[in-house]
Parts: sequence; structure tokens; C-alpha cells
Amino acid sequence: MIGGIDSPTYDASTLPADDNVNPYAFSIALAGEWFVSKGAMIAYYGQVEFAGVSQYASRASWVAARFSSPLYVQDWVVATGQGKVLVADRGYDINSYDLDEGNLTIKQTNLLGFQTSLELKQSIVPGFVTLLGTGKFLASSNGPVIFVEPPFRADPESLLGWADCPSPSQHYDHNWMAQSFMSGLQGAFGRESGEERQYDFTGAGTILLQSSEATRVDAAMLRTIESQTNLLDNQSAGALGQRLVARAQRQ
Amino acid sequence: MTFEQVNSKVIRVAVSPQGAVLARRGAMLGYSGQVTFRPIAGQGQGVGGMVGAAMSGESNKMMATEGSGSVLYGYRGLYVTVLQLTGDSLVVEADRLLAHDAHLQTSIEMVGQGGVRSAVRGAVTGQGLFTTRIGGQGWVALLSHGGTFPIQLAGDTVGVDPQAYVAHTGALQVDLKSSVGVRDLVGRGSGEALQLHVSGHGTVHVQASEEKVK
Repeated sequence: MIGGIDSPTYDASTLPADDNVNPYAFSIALAGEWFVSKGAMIAYYGQVEFAGVSQYASRASWVAARFSSPLYVQDWVVATGQGKVLVADRGYDINSYDLDEGNLTIKQTNLLGFQTSLELKQSIVPGFVTLLGTGKFLASSNGPVIFVEPPFRADPESLLGWADCPSPSQHYDHNWMAQSFMSGLQGAFGRESGEERQYDFTGAGTILLQSSEATRVDAAMLRTIESQTNLLDNQSAGALGQRLVARAQRQ
Repeated sequence: MTFEQVNSKVIRVAVSPQGAVLARRGAMLGYSGQVTFRPIAGQGQGVGGMVGAAMSGESNKMMATEGSGSVLYGYRGLYVTVLQLTGDSLVVEADRLLAHDAHLQTSIEMVGQGGVRSAVRGAVTGQGLFTTRIGGQGWVALLSHGGTFPIQLAGDTVGVDPQAYVAHTGALQVDLKSSVGVRDLVGRGSGEALQLHVSGHGTVHVQASEEKVK
């Protein structure tokens, strides 16, 4: 025994079942399958196997079919078996949510795991995914989650997700663009310098916010944008390429 | 226009036509109501303040929040401390300012007014030679790593790690004290060779980390 430590010592049977161990770690009582984000698992007890989603599809295609996002399929694994799986993310607060025949859209980098009774789809808003159906899912947030109701405008970096309300539109702060000549100029070139762009929510529902984070590199973002360049004709694609090269050289 | 603490990292501020708020650019998390944001350059009043801010480097990109509504502020997941000023003044690094009432007076000043000693202190601690002084009646929100705690001083002296120092109020004297010995010169020091010695009557706010705000 180690003296002087107040926090309890856990074993496989005393770890919480589908509950938080502390604000920063969650213990999944696994009996079957869970989708888990790559790198979110920090420890596990029992007979648990982790397999890539596409790899798992050959065994149980109905499970993989729930994961309807080829974009993120490389970043997720299926945990199968019996045991306790501990999940955490950079010391962020971990929250579990229960969906009941509902839908919730959440920032992909903050989603850590969900039950296979839920279905995952890519949101129209880049970087976000939508969960549909009934079941439990886990998400991290920088600081506790703040729930607000529309009408509300949120900074893109602090927006964690939204439930039961229409997808947001983008609102540009005219005052900001007019006051800041430089920012107006950059806006014309599609660049931004501050608070001019917000996501505008209307209608009924709930919006989830966190304290703004130093955004983590979303590996899928490159793939999202690259796939959208298919919309460009060859000449515009060439022009875009030149601009990107110029930007890379400037930095 | 009270600053309401939503959680350790987020505050909610009611903005009204009479009460605008100045905040760090990029710190707005979301809002409801008719609120607009306007970038402003530098701190301090008038041309002098602007020039002073430009010269000292003690200026952060700030913005004014105007209109009427309710705004949430937070910055990169840093902890937020809310302080209410009642006529006294607060001395703080500009990059630790998250938001404050627009009617508060801000000015840039030399650290300590203590000549070479304070110049050395600023250079050594990386805090620069200038700090921001905020005075008046109103609310201020500060950024820190891991939260701050106040240390009350009534004529006594406390030593603070320069990286952990956040702000202070009251009539306090801040001095740099070095106890650099031979071990530090050969790179085997304790890492605590430089301390800020704060003495007088007032409150020092110290953060639970040695990390600076970027």
C-alpha cells in the first residue's frame, strides 16, 4: 500500500460501470461492442480486442454499417469483448450523454466513443459528425460543457455541438468587417482575423459550448477539403494550388 | 454588468448600451442578443495611450463588445479569475487580460518605477519593462494556467515565482531578488534562483503553474 493517497484504488470489479472515474476519465463496462476513437483508450481490464472499423466489417458487417463515414473510418476502432475500458482525452472533462431516439451533432475531434446502437453520419458542417438513434456516447470538452438555447451565435472554435436544432448558418459581423479595414480586405481573400465569423443558431434545441481550445489538428480536415476540390475545374484547381504553395512558403 | 463565472474557464457578461466591454480578440465563445464586435488597437486613452502601447509592446489585440445581450468569454481553455475593482487599481500583464468593463481606465506604466533594478527584473522574468494598470469601479477577468489564488499582505513580504505571478492590487512594492549562487552558474541550481519579493499592503494573485499565457 502507498500511504498518504486519498483517492481509492480500483480493480476490475470496483471500477465504475458506464460512469466517470473522475471528471477526466470514464470507465466503459464493455459487454459487446463500442466504437472508440483511436488513442482515447488509456487502460482496460478483461478480454477486450481492438480492431479497425473496416477490418471489423468482415466479421460483423451490421456493426460497421453503423459507422457511415468513410472520412473518419481510419481514426476509429471497434472494441469488442467483456471488461472495463478506460477512456480519456488530454485531461479534458469527459461527459457521457444518453440519446433517446434523438440526433446530436458534435465536433469529430471531441467524440471519444459511442455504443453500436447509435449510428454515425458526417455532418454537412465540416469537422462535425451526427449521431442518430438511442444509446450512450462519450465526448470531451475543455472545461465543463455549457448548454445554451437558441437564438444564439457561437464562435466556431468554442462550438462543441448541437442537438435537435437545425444546422447553423454562418453569420458575418458587418461591424467588425467595416471597422477593421485589414480584416475586411482579408475577408475578401477568404481569410479571417478575429471574431467576424460566427455560427448562427435559430429554432428550438440545445447548443453545446466549451471554452475555446487551441484547436487540435484534425487529420480528416485535409481529406474533407481535398475531396471538395473535385468541385473545381482544372483552371481554378491550378490557381488554388498556386495560392497554397505561396502560403506554405510564406510561413 | 457583473461578470458571472459560468465555470472555471468561462464567464458570462451582460452587455448594455451604457456598458460596453473590452475583451481580448478571439475570446468570444458565443452570444445571444444584438451584440456587435469591433477590433480596437492598443489600450489606454487617447493618442498617448496608443503610442505608449505601441512602444512598450504592452498591448494586446483587443476588441470592443457593444450592443445589448449576453456574451460568453473564454480563451484557449485557460482558467479565468473574476475580480471586482472598487476604486483601487490592479496591475497586470496585458496578455493576462481576458475582459474588463470599457469604462475602466487603463494605462501603461514602467514596472516598479525602480530604475535599473526593475529593468533587470522585467528582462529576466520575460515580463517586459511595462505593465498595465487598470483603475476605477468595475469588473476585470484575468487568464491563468490552473486558476489563481490570492495572497493577502498586511505589511509583510512574500516571495513569488516570477512565472507564477499574475497580478496585484493595493500599495505593493515588487522587487526582484536573485540568489544566484555558484551552483546556478554551472547549471545545477534549484531553478528558483529568481524570485519576486512583494511587500506592503494589498493582494497578490498567483497562479498554480509556472506557465505563461501565450
